[in-house]
Amino acid sequence: MSTPPAQTVAVRTRGVDMFFGDGETKVTALKQADFEANRGELIMLVGPSGCGKTTLLSVIAGTLTPQTGTVEVFGQRLDGLSQEELTAFRRKHLGFVFQSFNLIPTLSVLENVMVPLLIQGASHDVAVTKALAMLAKVGLKGREYGQPNALSGGQQQRVAIARALVHEPSLLICDEPTSALDKDTGAQIMQMVRDLSRSPERCVVVVTHDHRIFRFADRIAEMEDGRIRRVVEDAGLLDTNHL
Amino acid sequence: MYRLALNMLFGDRAKLAMLLCGLAFSALLMAQQTSVFFGIMSWTYTPVYNIRAPIWVSDPMVEQANDAKPMRDTDLYRVRSVDGVAWAAPLHTSFLQARMQDGNFKLITMVGIDADTFAGAPAVLSQGLIEDLRLPNTVIVDEWGAQLMGRVTKGADGKEVVIPLKVGDTFEVNDLEARIVGICKVRRAFTGGPFVYTTYDRTKQYTLGARRTLSFMLVEPQPGVDPAKLCARIEADTGLKAWTSDTVIWSWSDRSLARNTFWWFWKNTGIPFSFGTAVALGLFVGIAVSGQTFYSFVLENLKYFAAIKAMGAGMGVIARMLLVQAFTAGLLGFGLGVGMAQAIGRAMIEKGMPPFIMFPQIFWATLALVLGISLVSAIIGIIKVSRVDAATVFRG
Ligand SMILES: Nc1ncnc2c1ncn2[C@@H]1O[C@H](COP(=O)(O)OP(=O)(O)O)[C@@H](O)[C@H]1O
Ligand SMILES: [Mg+2]
Repeated sequence: MSTPPAQTVAVRTRGVDMFFGDGETKVTALKQADFEANRGELIMLVGPSGCGKTTLLSVIAGTLTPQTGTVEVFGQRLDGLSQEELTAFRRKHLGFVFQSFNLIPTLSVLENVMVPLLIQGASHDVAVTKALAMLAKVGLKGREYGQPNALSGGQQQRVAIARALVHEPSLLICDEPTSALDKDTGAQIMQMVRDLSRSPERCVVVVTHDHRIFRFADRIAEMEDGRIRRVVEDAGLLDTNHL
Repeated sequence: MYRLALNMLFGDRAKLAMLLCGLAFSALLMAQQTSVFFGIMSWTYTPVYNIRAPIWVSDPMVEQANDAKPMRDTDLYRVRSVDGVAWAAPLHTSFLQARMQDGNFKLITMVGIDADTFAGAPAVLSQGLIEDLRLPNTVIVDEWGAQLMGRVTKGADGKEVVIPLKVGDTFEVNDLEARIVGICKVRRAFTGGPFVYTTYDRTKQYTLGARRTLSFMLVEPQPGVDPAKLCARIEADTGLKAWTSDTVIWSWSDRSLARNTFWWFWKNTGIPFSFGTAVALGLFVGIAVSGQTFYSFVLENLKYFAAIKAMGAGMGVIARMLLVQAFTAGLLGFGLGVGMAQAIGRAMIEKGMPPFIMFPQIFWATLALVLGISLVSAIIGIIKVSRVDAATVFRG
């Protein structure tokens, strides 16, 4: 596989080491992890539990700073940034979809989707308008003023997708987005992520070990023991029993 | 974002109710306990309220209003001749034993007032006429005292009932008859006993011809004369001690009889200590309860604040969100708590027991404490959120 031209690279890590604790309890989560994702693609990170998927995702998202190595996201080096700079970077460029939805239960569906806009300093009215439009796109028209807990799991994850995309981030990060959902709902959610998030300028990284959704990926990076083992374009090439 | 912070707070009615209950309960406890404490302490200067005179003059050794060190009757003339004095009337106070019709003895506070001017007479009589005190062997008893000195009998249902003294009833003080010609309404005193008013001259008989009966002199300044300045002149001219009758105990005026009485009891008795422990306990429980409720509220929301932080909210925004939530809850809880304290206080004032005075200082101090607790809880929350790794949002 040839290295893509620099302007198409969205995410690149080189020689990233990440360990937790020290001495007896030291755990190495990433060992010289080299990872690359391109603009316009949906790439999946797969691998057995504990192989470092979430850790790598956190490093790319700028919520974890690795001990060694370089991290570059949309031309911006994240290693060496201060906490404040990382926060500002996430605010501007990142959208998150979490495994456990992480919707704020005491806020309405609409208010949950407004959060990224308000954090960016948008006015209340602008945030309402954009969030309403986004909720219509994920098919939740009419549920805007209800509480998230009144929705089904699939609907809640759709709220989360709306929240992750409402501020049009360059990088969308999804950690196990379907693991709390049944097969059909999971497929619907992935279809929605694909339809709504793919754009030539955006990169989507999805961590999963749910092989039923592999088919939604452009490429799949397989992880093992804290490093990328190989990258494939066809899910059929993966040894799914291994996952 | 602050509107959302408030909606986060108000979104969960059950938790909000818990939080407000905790805060209101502690505000109630703090305001209530201190108000009752100061209510009881204010009983120490009851004479200043009941007697109502612009200036009090006493022996120089007297330190507070319940202290009587009798002066010579001739001192009255010396005070009357001080420049600026409109008039000066004698006042006698003493603790005596009253022998009731059934043979029981009761401790009373006898107050002898000037029969010419009735200076120092009770403001309100619920029965009888003050002028009747000029008749021989007559007294006026206060309502609470009439109850205390009343006759205990068995009612129709076998329960004990007290029949309070009324106009026409008699008792004896030092074998001299005292006939009740009036019942008055006055504030209760710390010493608790009944007030028995009679004329100044008659107190000589009731006290078996004590040589000195002049406990205090009540002085009215001439129009336009400043009481505080007149006090200074009386002291300079006579060597006696002169007091003003303002009841602001939080002042620096060392001429105020009420203030000096209050703080004399504060310093010289165990009362502030014994009641003070109850107050301190109330404060402590209040702080603990509201701090704890707030803290658990913050803990429950920690996960969501971590998510907001991961999404790129700076600590400044999160800190302000937590402060908005904390102060809103604090103010609401304070309002509820102090409102309840006032309502209970009103009900207690109606019953007259225990006394209740919510000084503005108590109000503001409670507000400051509740907001202080809110602030501390918010700061703890802010520290917690700042410590929590944004990366934790990816973990279960
Ligand atoms: N905060 C942490 N403290 C200690 N060990 C951690 C922490 N986060 C991850 N690890 C460890 O790092 C390894 C990789 O974890 P993770 O990235 O969550 O794996 P995956 O998402 O592939 O299941 C695991 O052994 C895990 O126990
Ligand atoms: Mg994981």
